[in-house]
Amino acid sequence: MAATVKVMRRPDPGETSYIRATLKGMALTFKHMVNPDKVTLQYPEEQPDLSPRWRGTHRMEVHADGRPKCVACGLCPTICPANCIRLVGGEDDQGNRYPIVYEIDEFRCIFCGMCQEVCPVEAIHVGVHFENAEYTRDRFVYDLDRLMEQDHPTTLLWDPSDPRSE
Amino acid sequence: MSEFTQPQETVTLTIDGREVTVPPGTTILQAAESTGNRIPHYCYHPGLSAPAQCRLCLVEVEGAPKLQPSCVTQVRDGQVVHTASEKAKGMRQGVLEFYLANHPLDCPICDQSGECKLQDYVHEEGRKHGRSREPKRVFGRDDFGGDVLFYGDRCVMCTRCVRFMNEVAQDPRLTVVERGNRSVIDTFFEDGVDGSPYAGNIVDICPVGALVSKDFLHKARAWDLDHTPSICPNCSQGCNIDLHVRDNRVQRLKPRANPEVNGHWMCDYGRHRFEWMNRDDRLTRPLVREAGEARPAEWGAALSELLERLEEARPIRAVASPFASTEELAALRRVVDALGGGEILFRSPEADEEIPLPGFPQLARRRDLSPNRRTAELLGMERVGDAQGRGGLESLADYTGTLIVLGDALADMDADFGRQAALYLYLGSHPSAAAGQADVVLPIPTFAEQEGTFINGEGRVQRFWPGLIGPEQARPAWMPLGVVLSRLGVGNLPGSAGEAFLAATEVLPELQGLRHETIGTRGAILNEPVLLAGS
Ligand code: SF4
Ligand code: SF4
Ligand code: SF4
Ligand code: SF4
Repeated sequence: MAATVKVMRRPDPGETSYIRATLKGMALTFKHMVNPDKVTLQYPEEQPDLSPRWRGTHRMEVHADGRPKCVACGLCPTICPANCIRLVGGEDDQGNRYPIVYEIDEFRCIFCGMCQEVCPVEAIHVGVHFENAEYTRDRFVYDLDRLMEQDHPTTLLWDPSDPRSE
Repeated sequence: MSEFTQPQETVTLTIDGREVTVPPGTTILQAAESTGNRIPHYCYHPGLSAPAQCRLCLVEVEGAPKLQPSCVTQVRDGQVVHTASEKAKGMRQGVLEFYLANHPLDCPICDQSGECKLQDYVHEEGRKHGRSREPKRVFGRDDFGGDVLFYGDRCVMCTRCVRFMNEVAQDPRLTVVERGNRSVIDTFFEDGVDGSPYAGNIVDICPVGALVSKDFLHKARAWDLDHTPSICPNCSQGCNIDLHVRDNRVQRLKPRANPEVNGHWMCDYGRHRFEWMNRDDRLTRPLVREAGEARPAEWGAALSELLERLEEARPIRAVASPFASTEELAALRRVVDALGGGEILFRSPEADEEIPLPGFPQLARRRDLSPNRRTAELLGMERVGDAQGRGGLESLADYTGTLIVLGDALADMDADFGRQAALYLYLGSHPSAAAGQADVVLPIPTFAEQEGTFINGEGRVQRFWPGLIGPEQARPAWMPLGVVLSRLGVGNLPGSAGEAFLAATEVLPELQGLRHETIGTRGAILNEPVLLAGS
């Protein structure tokens, strides 16, 4: 059996040169530099405009007298697909059902917003908020007091009768 | 087999296009239920009389001019019944709308939510939106005494609670006051149902959240609870119950229907004694005594130590507990017999009197306050001590032979108990001062954490199932005792509670012919083997 020799063609410099690609990339960069619509946001001095339907960390609404609006109905821990809400119901001194323990593990939360959707008394809300950095992991389990202290705007849920939020 | 050769009178009718054959005298509602077709109803309850007043079970019977209440209409041959025709459904929708006219729709804060018949029926067949614009009546909540709270707004006036107190407890404490739209359930006296020993049942039979338990109030959602069939361990009646468990804690006990034992009921004494099942102070590991000190050990090491020390022949005596399962008690009897035989003592609490349920005479809170004393007696164990389940073990405190304690917490014994014993084996679930001198301590699960059987006072073998997860290292006592037996060359090591039950037949000939599978959820009487078709 005769040996076969495959003859390779050496690519010419026009094909292998990186100069053309570099120029192409630089051209794109310069195009963006002069594009008035694309800007670098000077965060944190400048804050981004978040959509009203942005779903971030939670906030618990409170009554005028400072009580949480939650009635410990148990619907949000039931519907939560990430199983991150812990609730122990009880009764306060005025005979109202309220949450003795209400905790959300924001690390496990997938920000689906179903808790807000299911709440019969509009107590728990996801919020228009994203600055959540902490020094320790355990600070990401928000208890009832912490949830009641949050003051960022709450999320506007999708309304089927107004699908584009207009 | 005479009952099969005698011609049996039956009635055949058609319900929703399906032929049903039932004995005469059956109501349409029961006949439909036997085919799995549940006709909505409130006032009818199988354990009570049927006043046919809630108007929810009305069905169309061909030939009848009006809709018929299926809870009291008896079946006739050739009858054709429609439970889901336009007419029947429209009527139900109308009736449900009336029920909601005054209903607060408190579901988020109502304890019945999730197991509420009003929720269920309205969700299935009710109108999407209410049309009533009138203000609703408001009652607020009322303390009915005992463990019972009454939320008047949620009541659907089925009068089940009134009828239970009148007919079954035969202790009339409740009544309907006012009429028409203003009618409401109320108590005769200030103390309400307080002191009535079976009043807790009205919470179970209330189809809505009008009557709720104070103990269970806001504790858990109905859909969070796992239900495990079990047996009440608080007296020798052995009521069939369900353990309702959330987060590995028993939250409440509910009766499980068994017409032979407890009907649909259970007593309040038994209902409220479950907190001990949730105790956190547990024996979690085998302990072996070394140089005067109990040290945690692996199961293998603890068992080797035990087997080694059992080799030397000595007299043996044991203490058992009538709260242990039949399987465990029988294994103990066999071990004691195999080691040369010796007496087994047990102590059990006793009440001063029975508390019968007049409307269901089979059921009474028995004097004997332990679930399995019958087994202990059948196994020839001897009851000692007083009515509080104390005392009687003084002779054992300084015993010098082999001493085995199974289940008894020895609460009244001091820390010196068993110090003289050549070998002291303690099998228990909770730490006990009197186990301090034990050479080997083996952790066992409580009855709520294992499978097994109890034999109640009338001689009925009844199964229970594990509803809680016990400590990881706890093993039912028949397991380590089975290891001892197999080492001694008597019998094989049972691999399951069912096999341990079969092995128990050795010392309990009364169990002959019974198996876990054939006992099922209803129990079986001793010496009356269950005949299965084809066996
Ligand atoms: S759904 Fe709302 S009311 Fe119910 S437990 Fe959650 S926050 Fe509380
Ligand atoms: S009784 Fe039923 S329908 Fe009424 S509030 Fe309670 S759960 Fe809801
Ligand atoms: S309290 Fe409950 S059981 Fe009694 S009448 Fe009302 S709904 Fe029926
Ligand atoms: S009668 Fe006995 S077995 Fe039945 S619930 Fe009461 S204590 Fe338990």
